[in-house]
Amino acid sequence: LLQRFCQWLYDSGIGTAIRESIWVFPIIETVHVLGIALLVGTVAILDLRLLGLALKREPVSRVASGVLPLTWAGFAVMFVSGFLLFWSEAAKSYGNPAFRLKLLLLFLVGLNPLVFHFTIYRRVGEWGALVVTPLRARLAAVFSLTLWGGIVCAGRAIAYFQK
Amino acid sequence: MTLLQLFQWLGHSAVGIFMQQSTYAFAVVEMVHLLSLAILGGVILVIDLRVLGFGLKSQTPGGLAQELKPFLAGSIAISAISGILLLSEEPIKCYYNPAFRLKMLFLGVALVFYFAIQERFLLAPSTGPSALLAKWASVVSLLLWLSVGLAGRAIGFI
Repeated sequence: LLQRFCQWLYDSGIGTAIRESIWVFPIIETVHVLGIALLVGTVAILDLRLLGLALKREPVSRVASGVLPLTWAGFAVMFVSGFLLFWSEAAKSYGNPAFRLKLLLLFLVGLNPLVFHFTIYRRVGEWGALVVTPLRARLAAVFSLTLWGGIVCAGRAIAYFQK
Repeated sequence: MTLLQLFQWLGHSAVGIFMQQSTYAFAVVEMVHLLSLAILGGVILVIDLRVLGFGLKSQTPGGLAQELKPFLAGSIAISAISGILLLSEEPIKCYYNPAFRLKMLFLGVALVFYFAIQERFLLAPSTGPSALLAKWASVVSLLLWLSVGLAGRAIGFI
């Protein structure tokens, strides 16, 4: 069923238009990378703060609320442009191992802030001003940085497997 | 030594030959290049958007730029090194590639603009005529880096 859906997207007018035009695909790709820079850049700043490596004098909650709007903006750009790219290549992406790995990593990276938010972050008032944050907060930061790094690598690898 | 000769030398150097012969080196170095670009682009975006009034408002633009400078410098260094490695795979092709030339031009202008001009605006007081100039400088900076990105993507495409 999923495969059929992918094939249907691939064969649709918009999918074909993106695929067959000379400039549209690389331009969307560039926008996608810019969205990633904003998303991963702001996530990395928060993660580095949790690890005590950047913006040390700023409480964690203030860094979080400061970067969050930018993170969501980056997410929106990345998601929309990413979906357009997928639209034009859906039938090929379906069986692509790098694409599957990327979706898995994206799922995990989405889970991480949920767990973080509903556990250790609830008591951010107690530890938010510390330079060295609790172990669980630092673990969440390491997971996040590792997963996002993996997503960027898997995303790049999609093109190497796309035949 | 002309620039063309330098590029030829790079292509014949041990590093260049390794990059040309290895199956995975190019792909791996390209991923490193992308990862450092994510940090570089992220830092630039966060600083410029702060000047324009979005994001980390509890920090002054100057303070934010100061705090993020190690990450800016580090990501520039890593993307430059990985970029040279990528270049050594096919230096002559890049030498004649208009997108590559354009990217180097934009990159040079963007770097000079940031370190020679924009950094001063960032430390300026946040009100008065200098604040408006700082905002325009941030818009110019965002456009310059966008051009670097577009031209960079086009290298592999032309």
